[in-house]
Amino acid sequence: MSGWHLRLRQQPTLRLDLRRVTPAALCNADALRVPVWHGNEPSLLGDWFDVSAVSSETPFLRIEGDLHRCDRLGQGMDAGRLEIEGSVGDWFAAGLAGGEVQLCGNAGALAACAMRGGLLTVQGDLGDHALGALPGAMDGVIGGTIVVHGSVGARCADRMRRGTLLIAGDAGDFLASRLVAGTIALAGGCGAHAGYMQRRGSIVFSGASPQPPATFVPVRADVRVAWQLLAREIERVAHANGIADAFAGLARRAPQRAVGDLAVDGRGEWWLAQAL
Amino acid sequence: MNINGVAIDESFAEAFPMKATRLVITAHNLTWARHAAVTATGFATSVIACGCEAGIERELAPDETPDGRPGLAVLIFSMSGKELAKQIERRVGQCVLTCPTTAVYAGLPAAAGEAIALGKNLRFFGDGWQQSKMIAGTRYWRVPVMDGEFVAQETTPVVKAVGGGNLLLLATGTEEALAGAEAAVEAMRAVPGIVMPFPGGVVRSGSKVGSRYPALSASTNDAYCPSLIGLAKKTDLTPDVRCVLEIVIDGLTEADVAAAMRAGMKAIVERGAAAGVTRIAAGNYGGKLGPFHFHLRRILGEGASA
Repeated sequence: MSGWHLRLRQQPTLRLDLRRVTPAALCNADALRVPVWHGNEPSLLGDWFDVSAVSSETPFLRIEGDLHRCDRLGQGMDAGRLEIEGSVGDWFAAGLAGGEVQLCGNAGALAACAMRGGLLTVQGDLGDHALGALPGAMDGVIGGTIVVHGSVGARCADRMRRGTLLIAGDAGDFLASRLVAGTIALAGGCGAHAGYMQRRGSIVFSGASPQPPATFVPVRADVRVAWQLLAREIERVAHANGIADAFAGLARRAPQRAVGDLAVDGRGEWWLAQAL
Repeated sequence: MNINGVAIDESFAEAFPMKATRLVITAHNLTWARHAAVTATGFATSVIACGCEAGIERELAPDETPDGRPGLAVLIFSMSGKELAKQIERRVGQCVLTCPTTAVYAGLPAAAGEAIALGKNLRFFGDGWQQSKMIAGTRYWRVPVMDGEFVAQETTPVVKAVGGGNLLLLATGTEEALAGAEAAVEAMRAVPGIVMPFPGGVVRSGSKVGSRYPALSASTNDAYCPSLIGLAKKTDLTPDVRCVLEIVIDGLTEADVAAAMRAGMKAIVERGAAAGVTRIAAGNYGGKLGPFHFHLRRILGEGASA
């Protein structure tokens, strides 16, 4: 079992499709000879990257460089650990099913869409349509944990069904639109139309509380037990992934709760937990 | 063996395999958690007619519970996983779901054993308004009720356990026997992983296997009835014994039951024979029925050397 260390040698002229580059796929292969597409030209991974082997017990891959023209990195990954130093292109970690992915940089559009499991931490920002559904799919993210230290673009977590998403920064418009279930915690501000057509699931606003739309009803019943279970878990995940400050003291707050989106007979909930 | 005048029989308690689970019941305060736990573990002294044996294991401080509220750990034992599942559903449904402010969680790690339903079926009380929430890989059900929400973990794991560990306390009179039994029970309550399912932890109607009536599978333990000294064919009592009380212990492991029996015996011998309990015996069926044998002298000896 071995791991690999890749360093981008030169900036590709066209988009580089790295969908075959995952820790598990490379661990028993010759990394230099893995075929990759550069635009519509076939090429090899070794044409673009300096490759060195590192010893590792589990599948391991570390990639460095300005990767903003590298798409589909870590797509379909299901085991091992992927570390990226630098910003990546579109479809980053799409369909992630297992293992750990750490991105020190920003990602383009459609990051981690249709994610199924695993842990994704992003020390940067995600572009639009992050954590959404594939075209035509009924569900977006159906499992896993996502921790974003920065901000996310528009339409984040569209059609999410299960999993936990923590955002330390801000969110764009249509956060968690058509949310089916799952947990989203946002420490910063959010754009317009959050929870648009939300069916179920929980959105925790620990920063500035947005005004719930008219299709959400305030619910004043005592639901402190569920809040403790939820808020403690958010604090635990935040602490374990380096954004403890963003959600500090969450479980001690007494949030207001709104339920909707009644426009679609939804039972989703907003926890408005702004610190007083 | 004789310590402080208390005779320890060369005998053993015979115990049986059971299936068990631990539940954590929390509430707004300890009083209401206790109301729920006492009710849920009520009428659960013996599997002979109760379906299960259950009791409160210990109090839990707010920092020990999933929701940060005070609670109680409860152990429930049954002869099969199926019967245990039935008892859990009935008891939690009628005694915990109904009790103001309570919530209920599994008290054992999920990997400990096969999962049986906890909130999984009770959720239908919500009539469609129930909500599921996955938190850290565990599913919880939130059922709307008139005080807010009843939260229950979906399942609880079932583990193999040991039921029927026991001590027989032979005393010179009723007052002496009660005082000795109370002291022993108090010492044994400090042992984790066990409950003593009978009233106050103590049972006076120790039984033997079989009866002269074909319909009865168990009947009074005549060899230990002081009222039958000189009457019954066989008695295990000497004429100075006027009262015998038994403490029955169910535990999650053999070691837990042994530790509880040791704590109970120690409490008795520390009080000395002058306090009235002059002999400690144990109930068994000749060693052929139950796979677990707790030899009194061996258990107490291990404690002394440890």
